[in-house]
Formats: sequence, structure tokens, C-alpha cells
Amino acid sequence: MAKKKVSQNWDFKATKNLLQEYLEKGSEKKEIKLPEDTIKIDDLNKKETLNRIYKLVDSVIAKIYATGRPTIELPSRSSSNIIWDEDNDLLLLGRQILEKQFHTLTSVADITRLMRVLEIVDELLVKDIHATKREIFYTDVKLFTDQKNSDKSIEDVASMLYTTRNATHIVAAPKGTCVGRLRIRDRNDIIDLEGLGSGGWTISPMLDNIEIIESDAEFILVIEKDAAMMRLAEARFWRKYPCILLTAQGVGNVAVRMFLKRLSKELNLPVFSLVDSDPYGHYIHSIYLRGSKRLSYESPFLATPNIKLLGVLTRDLDAYNIPNEVRLPMTKVDIKRTKDILNEDFVKQNKEWYDDLNLALKLKIKAEIQAFSSHGFEFLTDRYLPEKLSTGDWI
Amino acid sequence: MRIFHKKDGGIVQLIGKEQMQEWPVELPLVFIEYIRDKQLGTYGDSMVEKEISAYLDEILKDVAIPRLISVLGGDDQDEIILALKRIEELSKKNTEMARPIKPYLENLLKNINKNIVKLAQSITENFQKADRRKELAIKRGIMREKETQFLAGKINGEEYAKARREYLTLKD
Repeated sequence: MAKKKVSQNWDFKATKNLLQEYLEKGSEKKEIKLPEDTIKIDDLNKKETLNRIYKLVDSVIAKIYATGRPTIELPSRSSSNIIWDEDNDLLLLGRQILEKQFHTLTSVADITRLMRVLEIVDELLVKDIHATKREIFYTDVKLFTDQKNSDKSIEDVASMLYTTRNATHIVAAPKGTCVGRLRIRDRNDIIDLEGLGSGGWTISPMLDNIEIIESDAEFILVIEKDAAMMRLAEARFWRKYPCILLTAQGVGNVAVRMFLKRLSKELNLPVFSLVDSDPYGHYIHSIYLRGSKRLSYESPFLATPNIKLLGVLTRDLDAYNIPNEVRLPMTKVDIKRTKDILNEDFVKQNKEWYDDLNLALKLKIKAEIQAFSSHGFEFLTDRYLPEKLSTGDWI
Repeated sequence: MRIFHKKDGGIVQLIGKEQMQEWPVELPLVFIEYIRDKQLGTYGDSMVEKEISAYLDEILKDVAIPRLISVLGGDDQDEIILALKRIEELSKKNTEMARPIKPYLENLLKNINKNIVKLAQSITENFQKADRRKELAIKRGIMREKETQFLAGKINGEEYAKARREYLTLKD
């Protein structure tokens, strides 16, 4: 397949077939049914989130009047309470509940921080503004002492309200960029993601202000590396192959993953990832695919279970004659990480993925996306990606 | 999203008109004009262009105009002022986008609220200026034609002078 001499117009057939399959299924799409032993999280609007805060505070006040010993209950986010839902291919939070008490020395600092964050969330929602996690830490440095503490309280508050972190108006700092055949609305402005130069649009963490209004894209490509994104943007890849390109420069933060989820859900397009052929690249793909363990309570809103691993696969290195000089030996850490990923249930159940990781482990090699530059700078955009998208060589 | 299928298997997706009900009042108009002006010619499929054009008419009829009427014909003066401010901005940038509200301006000019009257006047003036620009462009075209005809000896000096006079009067 890859060895034949090619200078052709790729028909991009496999991707088109996948798109047709999605479009046919689209009309019969159903809501995700979560397993009974997992908790349900809702993506709430401002008013609904405020209502949940008021109900929660009312229940604390009621407990104070009734017992004088108020407590707050929230779902446990420990690893023992994280469940892989095989049917929906998601990491979810189980039904284990933690109780935080006001009257014990061990939990008083924790619960005070929690209530302070709840107060800040209320303020943000009432004023209809957003704040970053760093800003939250600086609202009360003495109380939080370390940003780790405020970050933990932020996640606790979201899970305590059974909602997403974005619904609390606490957002991540802007990180990812997006470019391609897409038009969006940001409050009163229409933004054309084809007309912003090669730098693209910085994905806004204030996603509640963003709405997808038009697109003639036929697939979405998520790219791990900024350098690869730059290569594709410079080639105006989306003009020849109607697509939307997105990068998070590494692991996608909440905003990037939520935006990708919305693109995938609302536009119902095939989604592919292009990551380095190393355990970290596979880990990044898995985060987009099933969500992270830390934010497992938000997985239904952050994960894109239909994302395909387009490359770079270990098997691609021989198929595309990647020279030995640009293949890198795996370190001990790489080997350990690869073994860890191989142990994950969701990898074990995906034979092709399992085999490719096993091959990497056997050969003890890894390679970056940029390794394709050894065949020329345009190889990635003119040969590798078009061929993979045409033949359907993905996992 | 509303999906339009191209002959080559590609698709174009546009936001559903139901979702526009919550938009700021002038935004459906901006959207319609934006898609017509910037996107419609890029799809490369005449059938899809026709279908999308019909969908944009549907948005205009079912969402954009009724929303404008409900705000401008309502009693909430603050909301009317807010809408008029946005429409005034719009009429400066692209008069055609704001054109559907023209029939409602007459009533607003009689409103007791001075701010509403002022904004309605400003929008009316923007329409008049745009109309004049259009008329002038037409006359300029005619004038150029007359000049060519005059230089070619096809019309006499009197006829040319008459056209020139009409053009200059309008220009002033």
C-alpha cells in the first residue's frame, strides 16, 4: 500500500464512506445511557447552576438547624470509584459518596476552601463572568496556600453540584487553536476560522459564549504538535481536504476537549488524531477518546469516543520507510508507560491498538510526527495524511 | 444543524433556525447576509446553493423579521433602544442587512421617547444615504456611457450637457 510510487489525486474515499455511515446513523442517534452504578452529570446553564447552589446551601442550613453538625456529600473521585463503561467507551465516576464535615479538625480546612470556592462560583454566575483556576487561587492565597488546594476544591465543587467545571464559569487558560472550514458565533461576532491566517483561532475557554453556525468540513483532525499544525496550516490543508484542524499542544485541556466534543456531536463528522508514535502520543489519544481519570465525572462532556487513531502508528514506520536515523530508542520510562497503557482494559479490547503498542514494545522504538520530514517537508500533507485518509488505515 | 448534501458526497451544515430564537435581535440578519455574501459562492454546487438560499429566506421570514417586529413593536423601550442601537451600527456597515426594518421606522419616528426617535432618524438617514449612493452609481454609469457616445459623435453636446447637469445635481 505505502510502497507504491505515488503522485496521484487521493480520493479520500475511506473518510467519505465513514462520513456517510455517520450521516445515516445520525438520524437514529440516541442519548447516552449511563450504567446504573455511575453518577449522572448535567451540563447546566447559569440559572440551573445557581439553583443547584441555592438548594445545596439550603440543605446545609437545614442540617445546621436540625443537628448543629452540618456535612456536605460529594461523589468520591478516587481511582477505586472510576469505572470504565464498556458500552459507551467512557471513564465514569461510580456511586461512592464522600462526606465532608465542618466539625472535625481534619476536614475543616478542606470544607472551608470548598465553601469559599462555592461562594466565588456564585459571584461569577451572578455577574455572568468567567475566571481561570489561577485567578481563583489569588482570590484567597492565605486560605488556599497552594494552587493544588484551590484546584482540588474547584473540581470538588463541580462534582458536588453534579455538573461540569465549565458550568461553574471557572475555566482553563486558553491553550489550543483551531483552523479550517468552520464558522462560529462568539456572542455578537461571527468568526471565520478559514480567515484568521495560519495561526488560527485560539479556542476560547468560555465555551458557553460559542456556537457553531456553519461548516462544510467532512472530517476533523486533532494534532498533538504545534509544529505539525503549522505545517498543515501553511499548506492550507483544509482547502484541498475539507476539514477542521485542531491542536492543544499536548494533552487537551478541558476547553479543547469540550470544544472537540461539541464539534463531533453537533457536526457528526469523523474525528482523527495525529500524535507521535510514542506512549505519550497514545496517552493523548486515549484522553480524547475516553476522558481522563481525574475528570472522569465530566467524561460524557469531554470525551470523543468515536475518535480514530490515524497515526503515527508503529507499523507506519516501516510502511513509509522511515529511516532508522529518525527513529528513536525507547527509554525505560517509555517502556514502562507502554506496558501501563497495554494493561488498560480499553486497549486490551482493541486488538489493532494492542498489536501496534506491542510492536512498539518489541522493537523498542518511537518516532515523532516530524520524522516524515526526512522524506521532504510536504510528505506529511501531500502523501502520508491523504493516503491514510483515502485507504482507511486507522485504528 | 441543517444538513445540505452535495453531489460529490460532501456536506454543508448550517445552524438550525430554532437555535436563533435566543440570539440578539439583529444577529439572524447578519447571519443571513454573511452566508449569502461570503459562503454561498464557495460551496461549488449549484443545487446546494439554491437550497441554502431558500433556507436563508426561510430564516428571514420565520425568525429574523418576526423577532425584529416583536421587539420594535413591543412596549419595552429599553429593549427597543438596544435593538435600534445595534441596527444603527448595522445600517452603517451594511445597509442591506438592516433593510427589513424600514417599514417599522415610520412608527418609531413618532415615538415619544427622544432616544428612540433619534436612533430611528439616524437609521433613516443611513438608508437615504445608501439609496443616494446607489442612485449616484447608476447615474455615474449612465454618464460614462453618454461620455463614450458623445466622444464617438453618437449624441450631440446638448444631450450630453443635460445628462451631465442631472448627474452633478444629484452629486451635490
